[in-house]
Amino acid sequence: MTTAKRELILWRRLPKPVKHLSLRSYETRVGFLFLLPWLLGFVFLKAIPILAALVFSFTNFNMLEPGETQFIGLANYLTFFKDANAGTSLFGSFSTFILTVPFEMVVALFLAAVISSGRLRGKLILRTLFFMPSIIPAIAIVIVISGLIDPNTGWIVKIFHFSKYSPLYTLVPFVLSLWTIGPGLLIILGAMQAVPRELYEAARVDGAGPVNRFVSVTLPMISPAIFFTLVINMITSFGGVALLDRGLPYSGVIYSGHGFMSFSPMESYIAAQMFGNADLGYASALAWVMFILVMGVTILLFRSARNWVYFPEETGHEEI
Amino acid sequence: MKKSKNASASQTAPLTFRLWKFTGTALLILFIWIILLVFLSPLSYMVVTSLKSKAELSDRTAPLYPADRLTYDYQGQTYQLYQVPTSDGVIHEWALVQPSRLSSQFVDPAHPEAGLITWQGSWRNLSGVFRFQIYWKNYTDIWKLLDYPRYLRNTFIIIVIGEIGILLSSVAVAYGFSRFRIPGGRILFFLLIATIILPDSITLLPSYYVYVRILPWNGTFYPLIVPAFFGSAIYIFLLRQNFRSIPRDLDEAAMLDGAGPARILISIMIPQAIPAIVTVALLHFFNTWNEMRMSSLYLAIRHDLQPIAFTTQAATMMGNTYESIQASALILMVIPVLILLVSQRFFMQDLVITGMEKRS
Repeated sequence: MTTAKRELILWRRLPKPVKHLSLRSYETRVGFLFLLPWLLGFVFLKAIPILAALVFSFTNFNMLEPGETQFIGLANYLTFFKDANAGTSLFGSFSTFILTVPFEMVVALFLAAVISSGRLRGKLILRTLFFMPSIIPAIAIVIVISGLIDPNTGWIVKIFHFSKYSPLYTLVPFVLSLWTIGPGLLIILGAMQAVPRELYEAARVDGAGPVNRFVSVTLPMISPAIFFTLVINMITSFGGVALLDRGLPYSGVIYSGHGFMSFSPMESYIAAQMFGNADLGYASALAWVMFILVMGVTILLFRSARNWVYFPEETGHEEI
Repeated sequence: MKKSKNASASQTAPLTFRLWKFTGTALLILFIWIILLVFLSPLSYMVVTSLKSKAELSDRTAPLYPADRLTYDYQGQTYQLYQVPTSDGVIHEWALVQPSRLSSQFVDPAHPEAGLITWQGSWRNLSGVFRFQIYWKNYTDIWKLLDYPRYLRNTFIIIVIGEIGILLSSVAVAYGFSRFRIPGGRILFFLLIATIILPDSITLLPSYYVYVRILPWNGTFYPLIVPAFFGSAIYIFLLRQNFRSIPRDLDEAAMLDGAGPARILISIMIPQAIPAIVTVALLHFFNTWNEMRMSSLYLAIRHDLQPIAFTTQAATMMGNTYESIQASALILMVIPVLILLVSQRFFMQDLVITGMEKRS
C-alpha cells in the first residue's frame, strides 16, 4: 500500500467538516431560485429562438421544403440590400417612429400636466376616459379612422366641409397614435402626482412661476417615467406589443374597407415573407436587420438617458 | 416676506382675485372636456355607426346621427322624400317619382291629389329627408352569427390560466431582482430590459417552427398559456420597481423574527404591492382579451377553440361592413370597459416609476 493511498483512507475516515453556507452564497442561491422561471424562459423562449433565427438567416430554409435547406452564407443579407420593397418598409417603420413618438410624448405630458393641475375635479374619471380609446380593438380603430376621413361620407367632411382631396390622410398616423397614448399618460400622471409637494413649495418661495416650476421641478422629477414611456412608445411604433395589445395580427396589416392599413410596414413585410412566401431564411435575415436597428435606437436612447434621466437609485450604494 | 405680501393682496382685492381664479378654472375645465371630446370621438363614431344601416352609411346626404330615410307611398309605389327648394325660397319635402337629369317629377305628400310637380334641376344634388331612427339589426345579427358563450369560455380559460402563470412567475422573479444580491445581477437585469425591446418577429419564426413542427401544439391552448409561466419582462420590471420602493426595514424585521424569503414575499412584499399586482393582472387581462397574434398562428385551424376577439375579427372581416364590425367591436369591449371602470381606483394608480425608494 502506497503512502498516498493510506493517506486517502485516513482522510476519508476523518469527520467531514460541516458545510456552513455563508450568508452571501445562501442569498445568491435563493435569489437564483426566484429568478429561475424567468431564466428558463429567457433561455428557451428568447435566447435560443434568437440564435436559431440567426442560423436560419444564413440558409435558404423554406417552410414548404425543409429538406432542401442549404447554407447560403450572406446571400439573404445581400438580397435585403437589393430589395427596394424592404428598404421602403424599413423607412416607413422608421419614419413612423420619428414622427409619432415625439408627438405622443408631448401630448401625454401636456394632458398629464393639465389633469394633475389641482384645479380639476374628477381626476379619476378623466384618467379612465382618456385611457379608454387605448383598449378599442385594432380592427375597429382602423375603421373609425377611415370612417372619419372618408372623402364622401366621413364625419370630418360632413362637419367641416373639407374639399375631397384634403391633406387629412397624412394626419392618420398622428391621430392613430393619439388614441394609443393611454398607458404612457397614466404612467406620467402617476409620476407627477408622486412628486413631493415640498419641492413645489420651495420653488414657489424662490419665485418660480408655473412654467418654471414645471420645467425645473416636475420634468426632472418625472424623467424616469418619461424615459419609460418613451421606450414603450418606441416599441409600439415599431409594431411590437409593449404594455397594451389591442389585437393587431402579426402582419400588422388590417383591411379598412378602402384598402389595407399597415401599422408597422417592416413587421408586415417580414410577415409577408414568412407566411406568404414561406421563406424563413430571408424573413429571419430581415428580422435580424430590424432587431439590430431597434437595438441601435435603444442603445442611443439609454446612452442619452444618462444626461437627462434622474435615477437616484442607480447612483446609490447598493448593487442589484 | 413674499408670502405675507400675497396674502394681503388677496385680502385687499378678494373679489377680483377669486374671479380671475374662477375664470381660469372654468376655462381649464372647458378646455380639457373639449380635448376629451376629440379623444372619445372614436367611441362615439363606433356607437353611432353600429346603429346605422348599410344603405344609410353609404348615403352622402345622411346626417351624423342614426336616421331612417323617409318614404312616401304613391299609387302603390314607394318613393323617397327629398328636400326640394323652389323659386319662392321654401324647401318642400317632396317624393321623387320620376327622376331625370335636368328636370324631375315630384309629388307633394301633403297634396297628393294635385298630381305630379315638375321641378327643374338635378335631383342628385338634393338631400333626402331623414328621421331619427335606431337600427339594432347589426347587433342582433352578430349575436346570432357568433356562438358567444363558447368563445367567451375559451377566452376565459386562456385568461385565467395565463393570469395564474404570469402572476406567480412575475412576482417571484421581481422579488428575486429586487431583494437579492446575485453575482451578475446587473447583467441579468440588463438582459431582462433588452427582452422588453426585442421585436416579436425575431423570436416568432423559430418558436413557430417548434410549436408546430416539433411539439404537436398547433391547434391547442398551450402556445398561448405556457409562456406565461415564465414571466413577462415588462411586468417583472414594473413589479421590481414597486418592490424596491417598499422599505427594507420591514423585511429585515421579519427576518429577525425567523421568516424565510418565501414567508417575507408572501406576508410582507405582496400585501404592500397589491395595487401594482392588480395593475399587472389588469394589463395582462386587457392584453389577452384583445390578443390576435398567437391565436391567429396557433388556433386558426380550430374554430371551436378560438378566443372571442379573434373569432369576432375573422367573422366580421369577411362580411367587411363598417357597421357590423363596429357593432361587434363594441360588444367585444363591454367586459373590458366594465372592468376598467370598476378598477379605475387601482389601475396603474400606484405604478410610480421614479426609481425612488421610500426610505423611512
